[in-house]
Amino acid sequence: MFYSVSFLRVIKTGFVNFVRNLWLSAAATMVMTITLVILATLFLLFAVTNFSLKSIQNTVDISVYFKIGLAEEKISALQQQIQSNPKVKEVKYTSAEEAFKNFKERHSDDLLITQSLNELTENPLPATINIKAYNLEDYPGIASQLQDAKYQEVVDKINFEDNRVIIERLNKILKFIVSFGIGLVAVFSLIAILVIFNTITLTIYNRREEVEIMRLVGATNWYIRGPFLTESFLYAISATVLCALIFLPVFIKILPKVAAYVNPQMTFFNQNIFNFWYLVLILFVVSLILAMSSTLLAIRKYLKI
Amino acid sequence: MIKFENVTKHYNRSKALDGINLDIHHGEFISLVGLSGAGKTTLMKLLIGEEGIDGGRILIDDIDIAKVKKSDMPFLRRKIGMVFQDIKLLPKRTAFENVAFAMEVCGHRKEKISEDVPKILELVGLLHKRDNFPHQMSGGEKQRVAIARALAHRPVLLLADEPTGNLDEVNANEVIDLLLKINQLGTTVVLATHAADLVNKVKKRVITIENGKITFQQEKGKYKL
Repeated sequence: MFYSVSFLRVIKTGFVNFVRNLWLSAAATMVMTITLVILATLFLLFAVTNFSLKSIQNTVDISVYFKIGLAEEKISALQQQIQSNPKVKEVKYTSAEEAFKNFKERHSDDLLITQSLNELTENPLPATINIKAYNLEDYPGIASQLQDAKYQEVVDKINFEDNRVIIERLNKILKFIVSFGIGLVAVFSLIAILVIFNTITLTIYNRREEVEIMRLVGATNWYIRGPFLTESFLYAISATVLCALIFLPVFIKILPKVAAYVNPQMTFFNQNIFNFWYLVLILFVVSLILAMSSTLLAIRKYLKI
Repeated sequence: MIKFENVTKHYNRSKALDGINLDIHHGEFISLVGLSGAGKTTLMKLLIGEEGIDGGRILIDDIDIAKVKKSDMPFLRRKIGMVFQDIKLLPKRTAFENVAFAMEVCGHRKEKISEDVPKILELVGLLHKRDNFPHQMSGGEKQRVAIARALAHRPVLLLADEPTGNLDEVNANEVIDLLLKINQLGTTVVLATHAADLVNKVKKRVITIENGKITFQQEKGKYKL
């Protein structure tokens, strides 16, 4: 019971300190909020770029068209060969008949095509295989391997749409966001730490008499430190709430539109990284670490216990 | 109750206390006299663990102060009340709140505080000024509030470091009378002072400190340097 009464008093004193030095508290909260907004913006930029990159990466593949009338065994032998390459993630085979059927289905509305197809005596479409690699960098290698002379008699054409220019550009942007972002976050974190450090130091100075008397009448060390930690906890939570309020409209209005623009097939919010509460939790943890570390530094330096 | 065994304390290279041996018994009233800088305040600071000792040891009820963990120090301090020359009341709190503060920070419940504080204020004769702020009280009254605060935990030992230093004769006498009364109620009191007339009035054990050494001790003694 003794401890719960003390605990409540510590919390109350922390609140009173926060309110009494309202301008100082506001400054500390603002700097912390700016740091969090930068962090959240970078986080989202990173996530959006990453999302775009993934969407584009999914569209990259190699299509191999075989010569018409080629025996199935030869195709499956080649397919196995390709499959055995550790860089290859997936090989999908489409037989000539399937291709023909698919083509017909796709153009069933078009009378001219349907009529022309009906007049054909044999299937004009080749069998194909579709290759997906694990890594983007591996596509050119796989493609050039298939152009090898020994495959010439079976392979008619290799279609490899090289999206690597776009992908590399996105990768560069991603790297830039990460390095620039880390730098910016580091700078603002340092500013936030210094501002909170100063604020807590001033609070310690303002309350020096009280602290001295507390010590003399036998307050425990944590009872003396507690209000300062409560105060910094309040900075962290206010900054997180403010930042969350700023980003809530972004999440509701803007992000779904961005996602739809980048890739209509993929939904934005089924990915963990785009969960709003997940972001809020990260922001809170970061702000708590910043606030607590600077407060503990100030306590260590200036609070004589 | 309190035992100093060959206690030494240095500040930089100068010796503040030099081989102090002293026994203080339960219920005693001790007048600690000496010039400024003789080592009276240092001796008290060592007792509440505010400063560490450099040699020897101090036992309070057989507990070696040097061995008390930092986290347990507050609990030791609750057994020792302390009063200072500069009083150290919180200016924005009333007499009642100043005394209550000592109980609050140690986790006492509100009911207990509102029951105990008036009793303590009555003991120091200031119940009628319970709602006065420090600036509305005389120096002597403020010092009595400080004594009330020191008594809030019912300490076994009360250390008074020059409590009358800033007071006129009338107020000083009031404070000394109060300390004697507290002593009569069973609390051990150590009074550090250089006011000769007060020591002579008290007529209790006198210990003289000079340059960090005890130079004179006398039961029911008089002020002597």
